[in-house]
Amino acid sequence: MDSNNDEALDIIITNVVATFRTRCHLNLRTIALEGNNVIHKPESGKVLMKLRKPKITASIWSSGKIICTGATSEMDAKLGARRLARCLQKLGFKVRFSAFKVVNVLAVCSMPFSVQLIDFTKKNRPIASYEPELHPAAIYRIKHLKATIQVFSTGSITVTGPNVQNVATAVEEIYPLLFECKKPLCK
Amino acid sequence: MSGLKCPQCGSVDVVEDDLYGQSQSVCVDCGSVVREGSLAPDPVGGTDVSYSFSTQKSKRPCPNLIKGLQRARSLCRVLRVNSDIETLTLSYFERAYVHERFLCVSLEKKEVLAGCCLLASCRTHGWPVTMATVAFLLETDAAAMGSVYQDALRILNVQVPAANICDIIEAHCQQYRLSPEHVPSELAVDLRALTRRTVALVELAAESWIVTGRRPAPLLTAAMYLSWQSLHPSPLRLKTGLGKFCQIGGVPKSKYALMRVTELREMLCKLGNAIPWEKQEVTPDNVMPQVEDILDHRFALMRKALRSFEESLQTEAEKAPDPEGDQRDSPLEREVRDTAEDPGLSPSERSEAGADWGKGVLFAPPCVGRPRKRKRTPSSRTDVTGDEDISDSEIDSYIRTPREVRDFVAAQKLISTEKDNV
Repeated sequence: MDSNNDEALDIIITNVVATFRTRCHLNLRTIALEGNNVIHKPESGKVLMKLRKPKITASIWSSGKIICTGATSEMDAKLGARRLARCLQKLGFKVRFSAFKVVNVLAVCSMPFSVQLIDFTKKNRPIASYEPELHPAAIYRIKHLKATIQVFSTGSITVTGPNVQNVATAVEEIYPLLFECKKPLCK
Repeated sequence: MSGLKCPQCGSVDVVEDDLYGQSQSVCVDCGSVVREGSLAPDPVGGTDVSYSFSTQKSKRPCPNLIKGLQRARSLCRVLRVNSDIETLTLSYFERAYVHERFLCVSLEKKEVLAGCCLLASCRTHGWPVTMATVAFLLETDAAAMGSVYQDALRILNVQVPAANICDIIEAHCQQYRLSPEHVPSELAVDLRALTRRTVALVELAAESWIVTGRRPAPLLTAAMYLSWQSLHPSPLRLKTGLGKFCQIGGVPKSKYALMRVTELREMLCKLGNAIPWEKQEVTPDNVMPQVEDILDHRFALMRKALRSFEESLQTEAEKAPDPEGDQRDSPLEREVRDTAEDPGLSPSERSEAGADWGKGVLFAPPCVGRPRKRKRTPSSRTDVTGDEDISDSEIDSYIRTPREVRDFVAAQKLISTEKDNV
């Protein structure tokens, strides 16, 4: 498949969500008071902390569980998480960086052709579903990769998966199926 | 002697004295029964064999299932579907209702399930009904209906053909009150002619990326409006706005319909400019009288417009080698463009090969034709491993100094006192 196609497909990772634990209780009031770039949300019982480099937003719960979103790669997510843990350490908490796990990766990719969505859904039932009245994209779920792909008729796709490798494999898997349902140019 | 105390006389002299099969503890002094066992011992946590399995003779039908079937029947009557569709709806509902996915859900959801089964059977038989119509009848929103519909399709394992907008045009057109008995003659129109023109306009819109990904109802309203204007392009009709048209026709207004009207007019202008006998330039203001000719010769005009657009692109590319283009594009876009300039590809294929192919084709959806410049941070740094050392100075920037903390607390106190005063 790739030998026929001279262009490389650019997969752009737009968001990486990761979680980790600090193994200690965190006082949200202290963090809100002594931390910079911090928003306290008492109604949901969490604190939002934004880091500049890498650009990450972290949701911190008092139990010590932290979710980091906004990174553009797995390594960036880990670095940001470690920075955050170090910041909390400096604030006086006995933080131990543990159980770091990348939970979700969102990537976008653009096919060099438009896709005939009705055709694509017909050929890939029941894995693909397309309801134009609900959402303009067809949704294709790859179970063994735990990946979900949204295919738009312009040829753009968004891929969600548990890690970057799965996302790349999902794009490789779906490319031939999309190529089959390429929209013929208006003549 | 059991270790019990009689509640009547307070004596501790209580003996076990069974009465036939029932165990009893009786006070010796006053004779009152302190405690008694049950006649037949019940197992803890209920019986292993349920009542419905052992004793119940006939299973009563679930009342909610009956209500749901009645609701499905009434929906069928409202939409006036034929008996095949009604039978299929009821059978779908009975099958889906007993599935574990819909066993312990709210009654509202079960009602939505009835609507979804109706929608599935209508689609199977090619009966034109939109999800929005059924959601309106059930007084629920499309999102709730959508999730139940997808689950129902999965459980029932049915393959329904995808909805096509052309199927629902006729049903949509029938709600307009534009015949001579409803409106004055200068605004009236023959509904069959109007429907035919709308169908042609919508098919043309489908070729030019106006239909895909959009909600059908506003698009149909826009197409009906333009068809109505073009059937008799008098000054009165051309002056009538979309809102007034909806009022005359007795249909609800939609803000999205206005956007579709603009897009349809632009598309018609592009095709109108390809008409060989049209000397003056066709603009959105004077395109209505040409719509009949455009629709009659739409395939030929489409081909001609595409060809002239490609020719104009080629002449532009030959004239200017585009020196600033390299500076504007990011490295990845440049790479894609360079590989796309393979001389083996035809001009139209070449234009489609890039990520933002909207610039190179006559008709493109707005997301490609006028793309929002995404601010891509140049953090495609491949040197980050995640395990680097973190210096103290960068962490200190995230922590307030004691002075800042004091100022912050003072400011908070000030704000809260102001709030109390107000």
